[in-house]
Amino acid sequence: MFKNYLITAYKVYTRRKLFTAINLTCITLTLMVLMVVTALLQNAFYPSGVEGRSDRFLQVTTLVAESEGRNSVRTGPLGYKLIDQYLRPMKSVQLVAAVSSPRTVSVYQDDRVSELMLRRADAEYWQILDFKVLEGSVPSAEDVEQGRFVAVLNASTAARLYPGIAATGQQLNAGGQTFKVIGVVEDTLQLNSYSDIWVPVTTDPSSEYRSQMFGDFFALLLADRPAQLPLIQAEVAEVARNLQFDDPKQWNLALMWADSKLDFFARGLFRTEREADSGAGLMLALIAGLMILFMLLPALNLVNLNSGRILERSSEIGVRKAFGASSRTLVIQFVIENVLLCLFGGLLGLIAAIAALSWLEQSGLIPYLKVNINLAVFFCGLAITLLFGLLSGVIPAWKMSRLHPVQALKGAA
Amino acid sequence: MIRLENISKTYQTDKVETLALKDINLHVPKGEFLSIMGPSGCGKSTLLNLIGLLDQPGAGTISVDGAAVKSYRDKDVARLRNQTFGFIFQSFHLINDLQVIDNVELPLLYRSLAAGERRRRAREALERVGLGARMEHYPNQLSGGQQQRVAIARAIVGRPQVLLADEPTGNLDSQMGGEVMDLLLRLNAEGTTVVMVTHDEREAKRGSKIVRVFDGQLVN
Repeated sequence: MFKNYLITAYKVYTRRKLFTAINLTCITLTLMVLMVVTALLQNAFYPSGVEGRSDRFLQVTTLVAESEGRNSVRTGPLGYKLIDQYLRPMKSVQLVAAVSSPRTVSVYQDDRVSELMLRRADAEYWQILDFKVLEGSVPSAEDVEQGRFVAVLNASTAARLYPGIAATGQQLNAGGQTFKVIGVVEDTLQLNSYSDIWVPVTTDPSSEYRSQMFGDFFALLLADRPAQLPLIQAEVAEVARNLQFDDPKQWNLALMWADSKLDFFARGLFRTEREADSGAGLMLALIAGLMILFMLLPALNLVNLNSGRILERSSEIGVRKAFGASSRTLVIQFVIENVLLCLFGGLLGLIAAIAALSWLEQSGLIPYLKVNINLAVFFCGLAITLLFGLLSGVIPAWKMSRLHPVQALKGAA
Repeated sequence: MIRLENISKTYQTDKVETLALKDINLHVPKGEFLSIMGPSGCGKSTLLNLIGLLDQPGAGTISVDGAAVKSYRDKDVARLRNQTFGFIFQSFHLINDLQVIDNVELPLLYRSLAAGERRRRAREALERVGLGARMEHYPNQLSGGQQQRVAIARAIVGRPQVLLADEPTGNLDSQMGGEVMDLLLRLNAEGTTVVMVTHDEREAKRGSKIVRVFDGQLVN
C-alpha cells in the first residue's frame, strides 16, 4: 500500500510542477530560517563549547541597591569586593569566579592602533570555562595573585596583531599597559567568554576596584552538579538580604540574583532586576509562540494549496472510497503524501541552513560566530518538518475525508 | 442477496427538496443479472448507489446477505463495500497517475493481503479481461473499450459477490459496448450477481430481469 501511496505522490507532484515548486520553496525557506534561528539560540543557551559547563554554573551580573523609602535606586554590575567578600565564602558553590565585562581598549602594535575588547579575570574564571588553548597557557593562580602582566589572546586577535609569527612571548600594549602574551585560545562568541584579550584582574591600574560594591564585574558560580543550582540561587538571595553597604544610611536594601544564561537574557528583556523570577518562562513561551506563528502562516498557505490539490483529486477519492478505503485510510494517505513533500523540503531547508550558517560565519557579520547544525538542531528541524507536514496535511485531508463517495465521484467537491 | 425495503431518498439543495426515490422495494437474488432502466433523472443511478452503499437512504432498510445495514459508520460501510461489491462506472474513473496493474490492484490494498498475492490476483484479473499485455500501460494510453475492461478487472479483482455497473457501455461504441456486455454476462454465468443501469433496451434484455424507474418509483 505504501508503494502505491509513493507512486501516486510522486506522480501528483511531478504532474503539477508549479504547485510543487511553490510548496517546496515555502517549506524550504521557512525551515531554513527556523533552523538558523534554532542553531543560534542553541549556541546562546545550550551548554556547548567554552561554556560546556553552563548547566552547572550561574552568573550574578547585577546589583540593585535601594535607599529607605526607595527614594533612590542604583542598579549596576557588581564590584569586586562584593564577589570577594560575600559570594566567594558561599557554602553551596564549588568555585566562584570574578570577571569584568569586555571593555574596549586601544592596542598599540607597531604603528597601528586597534580597538579591542579586554576582560580582567581571576584564576577561577579559567577553571570554570573550558577555553581551548591553541598556544602557550592561561594565567595561573600565581599569575593572578602576583599581579603579573600576562595576557591571553584569541586566535583571530593573535593572527591580526602578530601575523606569521607565534604570539606567545610577544609584548602587548593595551590601554597604556604592557603585557606579555602567554597564551592563545580559540575564538568564541558566548556570553561569558566573548573577548579579544584577557588579563589578570590584579593588573587593574588602580587597586580601588577591591573596595567597591558596585563595579564592572560579574560572578560565575560553579556547582558540583546541576541539581545544586536552586540551592545557589537561594543562597545568593540570602546573601543579598544580609548585604552590608559601607554607608547603610544611603543603601539599606540589596537585591541580586543568580541567573542561568536564559534568565540573564530574560532579565535584560523584561527588566526584572527587582524580581526573583527573571521571566525566562515567558521568554521561552514567546519564542515558541513566535516560531509557531512563523510556521503557521506558510502552513495556512499550504493548507489552502493542498485543499485545492486534494479536491482536484475528488474522482480518485470517490474511487478509493467505493472500493473500500475508509476516511481514516485516506487521511493517512494524504498526510503521508504531504509529510513526504515536507521531509524533502526539510532536507533542502537543512542544506540551505548549513549554507546560510556557513556564510554567516565566514562573512564576519557576527564576529567569532561558530555555529554548526549538530544532531540536536537537525532533529529539532526534523520535528519541525514533521509538524509542518502534519499541520498542512491533516486539515485538507480531514476536509476531504468527509466527502461522500457519490459526491466525490461526481466531482462535487 | 440484496433487499431494499421502503427506501426513500431526497436531496436538499438550497431551499428546494427533491424527491429522488420513493418507497422502493426491491429484491436482488444471488446470481441475478438485473437491469435498471428509466429516463434520465428518474433516479436509476441513485438506486444503484444505494444498493452499493455509496449513498445513504433517507428512509427504509437495505439488507445485504440477510443482514440489515444498520450503521452507516464510515469504517463499517467501507469494509462491506470492499468485501461485497465491485463497481463499474460509465466514465471508468481510473486513476491516470497509476499503471493499469496498480489501478486493478487498488481494491486489494484495503484488505490484509501480501503484496505478492495482490499482484498475482491483479494480473489474473487483467488476463481474464484480455489485457494481460497492457499491465504496465497508463489508462490514457488505452482505448475507451480497453479502459472499461480495466475498470471491470478492478471491479472483479476482489472477487465480489455483486457487480454494480452504471451505464458501463455508455461511453463506448457498439462493438466495444458489445464486448463489455459479453464480459458481464460471462461473469454472471460464473455466479456473480450483476446490477446494471442502462438506457439500452437491447442490453437490458440480455440480463435476467428488468426493473423500470419512473419519477423515483419502480413501475411494472
